[in-house]
Amino acid sequence: MTTARPTRHRYRPPAPLGGRRRATESPLRRGATAFAFLAPALIILGAFTVWPMLSALRLSFTDASGFGEPEFVGLENYIGVFTDPDILNAVTNTALYTVLFTPLAVVSALGLALLLNNPRLPFRGFFRTALFVPFVVSFSVAAFAWSYLVDPQVGLLNYWLRGFGIQIGNVLEDPTLAMPMVVLVAVWKLFGFYFVIFLAGLQDIPPSIYEAARMDGAGAFSRLRNVTLPLLSNTMAFVLIFAMIAALQAFDQIYVMTGGGPYGSTQTLVMEIYESGFRKLDIGFASALSYVLLAATLVLSLVQFVFFGRKEKDLA
Amino acid sequence: MSTARRSLRDLKPSTVLATLAFAVVTAIVLLPIAIIVLTAFKPAAEVNAYPPSLLPDDWTLANLKTVTSELPFARLVGNSFVFAGGVTLFALVFDSLAAYALARLDFTGRKVLLVAIIATLMIPFQATLIPLYQLVADLGWVNTYTGLIAPRAADAFGIFFLRQFFLALPRDIDQAARIDGAGEFRIFRSVVLPNAVPALLTLGLFTFVNNWNDLLWPLVFTTDAEMGTITSGLTQLTGPSGIVPHGVMMAGSLIAILPLVIAFLFIQRRFIENIATTGLK
Amino acid sequence: MKRKTVLLGGAGGAALALLGSACSNGETGGPATLTFWHGYTEADGDVLQGIVDDFNASQSDITINTEVKTWASIDDTLLTALSAGEGPDIVAMPAERLPVYADKGAFAELTGFYADDSSNTANLIPGAVSMIEVEGTKYGVPTGFVPLAVYYNTALFEAGGVTDFPGTWDEWVAAAKQLTIDEDGDGTPEQYGVVLPDHATVANGLWPSLFYGNGGDIVKEEVDAVIDSPENAATLEYWRKAIVDDKISPTGIDGVGADELFGAGKAAMTIGGPWMASIAAENGIDCAIAAIPAGPAAQAASAIGVSMAVTVDADDNARAAAEKFFAFFLNDENAAAWSLGSGWPPLRTDVPAEAVNSNPVVASLTEIADLGRPLLPGVVNSVDVLAAVDELTQRAIAGEDIAGLLAEAQGTIQDALG
Repeated sequence: MTTARPTRHRYRPPAPLGGRRRATESPLRRGATAFAFLAPALIILGAFTVWPMLSALRLSFTDASGFGEPEFVGLENYIGVFTDPDILNAVTNTALYTVLFTPLAVVSALGLALLLNNPRLPFRGFFRTALFVPFVVSFSVAAFAWSYLVDPQVGLLNYWLRGFGIQIGNVLEDPTLAMPMVVLVAVWKLFGFYFVIFLAGLQDIPPSIYEAARMDGAGAFSRLRNVTLPLLSNTMAFVLIFAMIAALQAFDQIYVMTGGGPYGSTQTLVMEIYESGFRKLDIGFASALSYVLLAATLVLSLVQFVFFGRKEKDLA
Repeated sequence: MSTARRSLRDLKPSTVLATLAFAVVTAIVLLPIAIIVLTAFKPAAEVNAYPPSLLPDDWTLANLKTVTSELPFARLVGNSFVFAGGVTLFALVFDSLAAYALARLDFTGRKVLLVAIIATLMIPFQATLIPLYQLVADLGWVNTYTGLIAPRAADAFGIFFLRQFFLALPRDIDQAARIDGAGEFRIFRSVVLPNAVPALLTLGLFTFVNNWNDLLWPLVFTTDAEMGTITSGLTQLTGPSGIVPHGVMMAGSLIAILPLVIAFLFIQRRFIENIATTGLK
Repeated sequence: MKRKTVLLGGAGGAALALLGSACSNGETGGPATLTFWHGYTEADGDVLQGIVDDFNASQSDITINTEVKTWASIDDTLLTALSAGEGPDIVAMPAERLPVYADKGAFAELTGFYADDSSNTANLIPGAVSMIEVEGTKYGVPTGFVPLAVYYNTALFEAGGVTDFPGTWDEWVAAAKQLTIDEDGDGTPEQYGVVLPDHATVANGLWPSLFYGNGGDIVKEEVDAVIDSPENAATLEYWRKAIVDDKISPTGIDGVGADELFGAGKAAMTIGGPWMASIAAENGIDCAIAAIPAGPAAQAASAIGVSMAVTVDADDNARAAAEKFFAFFLNDENAAAWSLGSGWPPLRTDVPAEAVNSNPVVASLTEIADLGRPLLPGVVNSVDVLAAVDELTQRAIAGEDIAGLLAEAQGTIQDALG
């Protein structure tokens, strides 16, 4: 971390500075300075996120319902999580959702960002703005609008597609199509967000590097592979991790559009958590399930960190 | 002028095709938005008519009137501004301070802390909602703006986002200030922050939008209807049997997204064009 | 009985009833301010507010403040609020949601209240009362109990030449066929005779109603799953044939979609609750109400219930005050006023039919009130039971093997009952 880095590539993230510049400063003092900067955020996160997380952890070993004194039940809730067939179904669905959503959202965002980074494209300012607009629509409103669009009776999309001879039927009531549909809504809503982050990452790459690559005779594809993508890996890791977390916690549009149906085919883990907690009032079970999800997310994220960490040491 | 001439000269068939392709993609992407806007002005009979049409035959303000009479919508929109705006202001300050330490100060446990902060994003909000509510209630903040805003006044995403940006700022920008003997806080305030305006603007927009659109927290937190936000208030438009009148709901949605779209259009030039260019110059 | 009839309509009724409960609870009657959450957002809400206002004015110690939410948001917010001591003192909710809250300790027992003669509970509809009971203990007071009924579009009936409302399943299907119109012959009718959703039906009650009609049921005695019966298999076969082969109803539609279809004038009949009358009126549809036709074994309909309860957040004083309000709500005068104003039949069997004649919807519904059966009374985990029924009916209509589906549903429901 503290070894000298070449400064000629200005796009490369530098090592933290405080330590090197003030090598004479005691570690205690450096720690105190850092803590002063971190304190407000850590107090907020500690009180309003970490503390409730720890409470939830405690509740996951009880039969808590929200009323009265919870009783300690040991690992019963966790055993329940691993033996309940509904949970297995939710795990499968969540995995499917994640596998569909993450690449689709990331690739479409990256592709559009690459294309719209081309200064020769007419109206690119307009396209950039327009493609971001879905992000400002809330999930519940987005879900509502899409449900109306694909409504089998009065939906415009169904009607138009029928004109082309395509019958998509009742998408949200179709056990094979409902999942792709709710994924599509999430991609629609969120890709603009990832798109903007990619655009920012692309603009971080100095044009001089492209010039150099071009002079070396690299074609467009080779420049993409050997210059753009490696230099974007930091951004890519960032987007991938947040896209994956969003996918693993899929809830909002599903709650509105299908309620987990048909036949539980869009029932995700967070839908299960919500149902156990807020419908069956089984907070203990909901908390245990949440911790299993947390553990899974952590493992998957660390895998990604390690994978990208090899390319970009400064990530974590 | 010169731009126009240049784009004319560069008008290769591939460019025309690409532009057309983008126009189609954009139209598809904007279709649901168009549905929201146009359905808001459709009379109830047209909303469920077959064959459906994109444009209303008979434009009406009835849906908007229903929304404004059924919901204290000025109050709700005001609450949304206070909630999303308050969260954004606090989060930008606290997140950027924390991100500065994580990106540019060296201290023991930096990596572990960063991973711990990111890990707070990995538990679904539904799981911590009840303990969080109990805590805020113990603090006596139920149905107050403080209670609504405080839990969101710093967030892991913002810290991580700004950390990435601060890392990318070249190491030499604060050298002069350091030689002058400036302390870390002065470097943060007078050197790093001014260079981070586009990133702060971007994060500010993300934070504002996400909180404006948040449903669960304001819905559960505000048991007093007067304290709800426009997003949580829209749930009140559901009829007794679960029927949501589409036209009315779309009109409510339009009211809910309009301020965001306007705010976005207002800052979008600075926002996308400049998002990451400062600090490299 | 006679005394109550005499008092009906007089302000004295309220005062007397109140005097009674005040005496029996004299020792805890201090000043109290109560919060009351309910989901009556329409005209019914105004009537309820009127009753609350009258109650507040009728005495000086107790003030009840109402907070109107949607039924869904009550379910979303009640748990967190109660868990932090910030909840309401009184809450109304869909009746099938009460047992789980009661079982988890969210509500106060009302055994003493029901035992008290002055509580005005003696003549409550037994089915309505069974929905506030869990394992024999009473936790609430019904605020609504109405059998699902057929709401039909009289103009479409006239146009289709159906003059008498069908009385049996066979006649019902025949009438629905007659009212189903596929003008362009593409196999998708433009107008359906009836709309029978296959999941998330109105108050989850359509399929239970049909099961009852053939002598079947879902759960017996709170603990035994009885869904896997030859009667239910026959019911599913019968209606699958009518819906899929005879196309009398669209498929893959839920209860809300059904209401919308009827409101759009594209279905001649729908199964619904009292609000269908106002939806029809809003859409300019002339609509009449009839009982769900009799099945081979019985004529019965699942009821939509709403119950209210006293929460754990109410202290002893507030609980006593809430009981006074309940007695007031159920007194002779208000029992009739609430029925008329809400459009639901009276909750007390001793409210004479003449008292609610002035509202034609209530009059029609009161006539068929005897057909109403409580849905899953006392079943704590109604969430999983209803999900299993939804999956069963949806898959059955989609053409899957009914025997296998029933066996599977039987297992799931039995598991849910514990």
